[in-house]
Amino acid sequence: MALTSHDEIPTELLDGAVKEYSRDRVYVLTAIFLAAITVVEVMTYAAPDFIAWKGDNLKIVVLMILMAVKFFTVAYIFMHLRFDKKILTWVFYAGLTLAVLVYIAVLSMFRIWFPGRHT
Amino acid sequence: MADTTVYAHESVAEADAHAPSAHIEHDTNTGISNTKLAMWLFLASECLLFGGLITTYILYRTPLEGPTPHEIFDIPFTSTSSFVLLMSSLTMVLAVSAIERGDHQRLRVWIGATAALGATFIAGQVYEFTVFYREGLGFTTSRFSSAFYTLTGFHGVHVSIGILMLMSMLFLSLRGKLPEHRSETVEVVGLYWHFVDVVWIVIFAVVYLVPA
Repeated sequence: MALTSHDEIPTELLDGAVKEYSRDRVYVLTAIFLAAITVVEVMTYAAPDFIAWKGDNLKIVVLMILMAVKFFTVAYIFMHLRFDKKILTWVFYAGLTLAVLVYIAVLSMFRIWFPGRHT
Repeated sequence: MADTTVYAHESVAEADAHAPSAHIEHDTNTGISNTKLAMWLFLASECLLFGGLITTYILYRTPLEGPTPHEIFDIPFTSTSSFVLLMSSLTMVLAVSAIERGDHQRLRVWIGATAALGATFIAGQVYEFTVFYREGLGFTTSRFSSAFYTLTGFHGVHVSIGILMLMSMLFLSLRGKLPEHRSETVEVVGLYWHFVDVVWIVIFAVVYLVPA
């Protein structure tokens, strides 16, 4: 019997999956969730008095949290990390973690160890 | 007169049509096809590429001369572009879902929609770059402009390559060379497309929204 968009996709039809892939409805709801977060992100710029900010630092923290939520939502649902074998998650996290460590190393070099010398 | 036997050679498309619809268990240690694993390794390495570019931008975002970021950025316009790219991730995942269900008609519709949304994003980026250039922000105007154009330009190139991959998928599908048991091909292209989207999620927040 042919699968419809209301059915989950069985793992035997998928490559390296350990769980059935979602129905299309889940993807649409995920996209609505991501769009809502984007609206909140833009609100921090378009309506700066929307939330009583105590300065830019709080705004930056909020933006970074919202960014991370969007990033991992796309990775887990749209890129199927939630449904695939864990090795793929580890492969991706290895690159991501290495990249973040490189940022921290470089930024700390310019901002902490040798501040001002790059200007 | 000797009998002559004519052997019909199946085309790839015909051979695909007779192939089993379920995936064959991959003969690899991981149980995952090498193609999919290779794409994830490539995406992991891409994190380092964009990590370096984003780090450079953060360091050089304060220009010593020329326009500042918040003098020239058009946040409502870029927000719309971001929304377009975000929605292209939805159409991409629906395309993957369609081929895994064997629905080729919807596959073509969603792949076409994804390519169109990607092209809209690129058109917006070209427009944005043109406006910035006319406002006096050239590639060598300041360290900020160099870092900004390099970062967003690299991302734009990635999106453009993704559009070419999507058009190839569409062409293959129309030629009947993309049966459901090869859905992994679409999934791998989809992984690349979603990665381009998550990179833009970071760029949009760090470059456009975080206050200077």
